[in-house]
Amino acid sequence: MLFRFSPDSLRILAAYAAAVALFVIGAFVHPGFASFPSVTAILLVASFVGLVAAGQCFVILIGGIDLSVPWVLNAAAILLATSSLGQNSRALYAIALTLGMGALVGLANGIVIVWFAVPAVVMTLAMNGIVEGLALGLSGGMTCSACASYAPPVVAAAVHGVFLGVPAALWLWLVVIVVVSFVLSFTRFGRATYAIGNNPRAAFLAGVNVNLTTIFLYALSGLFSALAGILLVGFGGQASLGMGDPYLFQSIAAVVIGGVSILGGRGNYLGAAAGAVSLTALVSVLLALNMPEYGRSIIYGVVILALLLLYGREQRE
Amino acid sequence: MSAAAAAEPQAAAAIAARGVSKAFGGVQALRSASFAASGGEVHALVGENGAGKSTLIKILGGRIPADAGSILLDGRPVRFGGTAEAARHGVGTVFQELTLLPWMSVAENLLLGREPRSALGLIRRSALAPEAEAVLAGLGIHHIDPRALAAEVSLAERQIIEIARVVIRRPRILLLDEPTSSLVEREVEWLFARIRDLRSAGTAIVFTSHRWNEITSIADRITIFRNGAEVGTYTAIDEGEAITLMTGRRVEALYPKLPPVPADAPPALKLAQASLDGAGINGAGIDGAGALSFSLAAGEILGIGGLAGQGHRELFLGLFGAPPLKQGKISVGGRPTRIAHPADAIRAGLGIALVPEDRKSEGLLLPLSVRDNLTLPILGRLSQFGVIRGAVERRMSRDIISRLAIVTPGPAQPVGTLSGGNQQKVLVGRWLLAESRILLLYDVTRGVDVATKHEIYELMARLAGEGRAILFYSSDTEELAHLCHRVLVLRGGRIAAELAPPALDAEAIVAAAMREADEAHAG
Repeated sequence: MLFRFSPDSLRILAAYAAAVALFVIGAFVHPGFASFPSVTAILLVASFVGLVAAGQCFVILIGGIDLSVPWVLNAAAILLATSSLGQNSRALYAIALTLGMGALVGLANGIVIVWFAVPAVVMTLAMNGIVEGLALGLSGGMTCSACASYAPPVVAAAVHGVFLGVPAALWLWLVVIVVVSFVLSFTRFGRATYAIGNNPRAAFLAGVNVNLTTIFLYALSGLFSALAGILLVGFGGQASLGMGDPYLFQSIAAVVIGGVSILGGRGNYLGAAAGAVSLTALVSVLLALNMPEYGRSIIYGVVILALLLLYGREQRE
Repeated sequence: MSAAAAAEPQAAAAIAARGVSKAFGGVQALRSASFAASGGEVHALVGENGAGKSTLIKILGGRIPADAGSILLDGRPVRFGGTAEAARHGVGTVFQELTLLPWMSVAENLLLGREPRSALGLIRRSALAPEAEAVLAGLGIHHIDPRALAAEVSLAERQIIEIARVVIRRPRILLLDEPTSSLVEREVEWLFARIRDLRSAGTAIVFTSHRWNEITSIADRITIFRNGAEVGTYTAIDEGEAITLMTGRRVEALYPKLPPVPADAPPALKLAQASLDGAGINGAGIDGAGALSFSLAAGEILGIGGLAGQGHRELFLGLFGAPPLKQGKISVGGRPTRIAHPADAIRAGLGIALVPEDRKSEGLLLPLSVRDNLTLPILGRLSQFGVIRGAVERRMSRDIISRLAIVTPGPAQPVGTLSGGNQQKVLVGRWLLAESRILLLYDVTRGVDVATKHEIYELMARLAGEGRAILFYSSDTEELAHLCHRVLVLRGGRIAAELAPPALDAEAIVAAAMREADEAHAG
């Protein structure tokens, strides 16, 4: 099923082809762009987007969306840093606590969306605000130097540490790609996800537990945002306010570039992962061209719009 | 039967298609098809699903352009840029898909674009409903509230509004694509009365239908389509001959012989003291609280008949837990069972299955594969630790595909690309895989062509013969009369009549369904 050349597989292939093409273009623009250290560095940055996109992919597949990504990620980063106090001995506890927080926030999203029939856009946007408030309030805005804390060295090492020549965080991402793709393609849960995304009423009448599946998918999205937050603290060493902001747009963009229908029911995480790589490579190429921030934003927007037009056309046929 | 009227002078035709072709992707829907209808005639367009009838109507109605060929109005070639342009030329069309705006009122939908206006040109909202009421009354419709939202009225009422919306614009040529598929007898009679009015006023009326008795009762001429082109035009033709021409093969008796229900057949499904919601007769509501009880035996096909809005849909969905009946005791295989959710129904004792009215919106996941659609309810059984056993799943899907003779390139084919009849078979196959012994079939032959209907009938008889219990609702009374061991006629949430042979025929069902409606009309 994964390797049939349906229109969906073609989109995934296109996303990979775009990633490769961007590296080739980059190499022309900037010698050394396609060198091994440069590629792994770009992939490492892409992995953060990719992890958030895993959660986003789950909820977009059922026609939903998770706009609470930025502050769940940010809160996770702050929670990890403050609960671990930068100590290795507390790392495991801090990681569990942080992932639990992410899943819990996602669970709350899912429960309200399902039981109170609040549109996902409204609920997750509200949740983003709530989590932002909680994070700022409880961390005191991170203004005092005493409460600024760092990631435990073991977390930093897990991101930067190299295993078989590749950063450990990339291995983690690879595992996530394999597991998520497998879950979507070969499990009952994955099948239910596609069924709901295509037609929730028909899925319900076929005995699918639509409510429970939906809640679980939002919980997963929260979990992945928190995981990305943990890795970002490890990557940068420190949590900062607003660090989650770019990830909302980028996670949605990666999912769309990867050929997942924004209306749900079609696509696969394999594509979204390629989308994350393409997007990051595109940014890097533009940076190599010394493109200013505003120019990059415009190009981002145009790329997303163009892809939506292209895919929308395909679906109407 | 008369000879094909090939010599019909084209110039006399109010509307004609000459050598029209149309392809969708790789599928050739029309192959140089020709057709002509004159003013003052009712012209039926018949053929199997996929024969090209709907495509022809869409082209004549200006909704889609033809790839080749020409459209003539009164002998003059025209080219419509859209339905609005067609309407300006006097061509009004009721398409198969309903086009009402769900969150606007019946009145707003009806008068869209011709609302009553004030001196300043603004819409006079207060005048909308009274005007719509007057317009509907002029067409003999009294039971639809013009203030209700389109989404709130029943499917049949929506269809009536669609028809009314076109008819009040007084088209010179009226095209109706399966206008009766969601209507019951009484509403069909209403429609035919309107059609007769228009015919005597000189309108050319073209309509499609899969119900032969309707076609013969109103059509002046019949054009048969097969494989995207006309076979011929006839003024009189019997059903068997028409079916042979439509399908290109002979179909034996349309209705199969039912295997008898064994005298000692155990009850499969029992419902006691249930209440139904529904619009009731003329929107009067249903008062039969706790009044509905019946028992369905293994091997029996029990028909449920009656006018629309008498709670059939609530009954079928309720027995499946989607949503549950507000009141009533269900027992499955003799055991009291609580059904709060479709998953409960599927798992309940003998296994309950629902084939819903609209397979596109409620039954199938169209873009997903035949296999995914077949196995969705049984994935729990097919999985180990949540992982689907692919080999078992493939084998089971292949089995059911060959058992039901589902025409598909393979189990991986998206189900939306199959023909309507094969889609319906996938839905039935799903429940055979789930080993459901109780099948709730809700208007499963609606909009299905005659050859596929025949196959579905045969399948139903076979399934009943295997000891499955079938509860069957159909908007086609003939079907109920021929395919059921027993028919319960619902009226106001109660059983108005229980009919069994020899008293069981279409007339008796209609009579039982209408008795109270007539009383309500009189009062």
